[in-house]
Amino acid sequence: MTRLGFVVDLERCVGCQGCVIACKAEHGTPRGVHWMRVLEREVGTFPNVRRTFTPVRCNHCANAPCIEACPTGAIVKRPDGIVLVNDRVCVGTMACLTACPYYIPVRYDGGDGYFGETLTPYEEETSARFREGTAQKCTFCVHRIDAGRPPACVEACPADALSYGDLDDPESEINQLLHRRRHFRPREELGTDPSVYYLVGKGGGGV
Amino acid sequence: MRPLPDGAARTLERAWAGWRPDRHSHGNLGRPFDFSFPVQQHWGAKVAFYLYLGGTGAGFVFVELLLRWWGIIDARTAAIGMWIGLALAVLSALAIFDHLGPVSRWSAYFAFRRIRTSWISRGVTMLVALLVLRLVLAVPSLPGLDALPWTEGTALGDALRALVLVVALAFMVYTGLVISSWNAIAFWNTPLLPVLFTAFSLLGGLAALPAIAWLASGALAMEAVGAAVWPAVLALLAADAILLGLYVYGMSTATPPARASVAMLVRGPLRPRFVTGVVTFGLLIPAAIGGLWMLGALAGGGLGGVALLGAIAAIEIGGYFLRDAVLRAGVYGPPV
Repeated sequence: MTRLGFVVDLERCVGCQGCVIACKAEHGTPRGVHWMRVLEREVGTFPNVRRTFTPVRCNHCANAPCIEACPTGAIVKRPDGIVLVNDRVCVGTMACLTACPYYIPVRYDGGDGYFGETLTPYEEETSARFREGTAQKCTFCVHRIDAGRPPACVEACPADALSYGDLDDPESEINQLLHRRRHFRPREELGTDPSVYYLVGKGGGGV
Repeated sequence: MRPLPDGAARTLERAWAGWRPDRHSHGNLGRPFDFSFPVQQHWGAKVAFYLYLGGTGAGFVFVELLLRWWGIIDARTAAIGMWIGLALAVLSALAIFDHLGPVSRWSAYFAFRRIRTSWISRGVTMLVALLVLRLVLAVPSLPGLDALPWTEGTALGDALRALVLVVALAFMVYTGLVISSWNAIAFWNTPLLPVLFTAFSLLGGLAALPAIAWLASGALAMEAVGAAVWPAVLALLAADAILLGLYVYGMSTATPPARASVAMLVRGPLRPRFVTGVVTFGLLIPAAIGGLWMLGALAGGGLGGVALLGAIAAIEIGGYFLRDAVLRAGVYGPPV
């Protein structure tokens, strides 16, 4: 079996938001819809302060609470573990958002573009891909995966902080990373079995 | 209460400031790129109406059926109670379908597709089952149909009545289960919530019976039914107050997001809804009026009846605000 997952190296992430922009460029997500985010936080008190950066996205959980919560069956999991929203079936109940402990799904409600009421040609082109009133979330760049290419965020990361691969393959690059480095999974205690791992280490990586 | 950690403290500050997410999408909670405990903002008044009307409607049906079975209320009062209960259930269904189907209202039938896993699907299915079963049970009371095999007093009728009671009780429990089954929001994720919502649903149904008796047969019937059911209403008020206290106290000692929820209720922007709406209107005012009425201090003229109707209205207002406040106080934990 294949189970695709991400590994995020928190020591390497510099908070450039390159993955966020790459995701936006790849999918043309409308204003207010972010499938990829890098959370920023200041920790400590002056003069001993530092800033942490934590990339977050859909964790493509093995026990995805969004799939169980959705009353319409709009959220499905592929055999390779990628969790997708079928916007032909989604009616925007937002049960997925309520059930997701990572509050990842958002509902696209239409509205202005980034530059006001008049959409740019690019926005006109891309907004047509999104059905108003439906849940939106990371697709693991499934079109790229199927074509044998890495997800846009992984490809764009200048610090090589993002990796992806098959969690069920002991020889995969991400399993090698997980074998060598300390790591944790987000809110693992909730039983969602997320497919995203965060690497931490002595260099200061942390949340 | 222990001081809140940074993320939860920011949640409270923003809630006070009336911060709202980007209007272009629904669900980018908090500022999307910083680290805090966001307040859920997508399940609001419509869902609160659904939970309140559905729960109270089921409470009405449960109580009228049971008390009619026991011979405490007459058939006319029970029939009016049934129609009011079913009307509330229909209104609650309209509220939830309006919430569920913003893409196309006609797609709301999708909500029935996943009863094996989704509590929303289970709830709307139970609601429809309650409506259909109760109407089927009422059919023999129509003129010319009293020969049907499930009239009052027959074995089939009793079995059907028991089934309606079970479905009504299940729906009252469901109104709490639907939100407590998800562990994303710590304030909701407790088995006490279904018990609390069930108790408030029963209270809403039972307390309104004197008003229904008044509609059915006038002031004297109201006094008689009131004397029969208000001791139980007062006991339920006390039980609800204890349950609410346990729930809020328990959450105030739980995880930081749950403590942030309690802080929003007792000293944050939800204080008016919780303290005035739930505690004062829902519990204190009806307990005071009901107590005085039971002691006979409000007898004489129409004052007792008016006061009793006021107490009933206060209970219903409190019932709505309980669902509304609990929903709005939902705070997520950190995503990582």
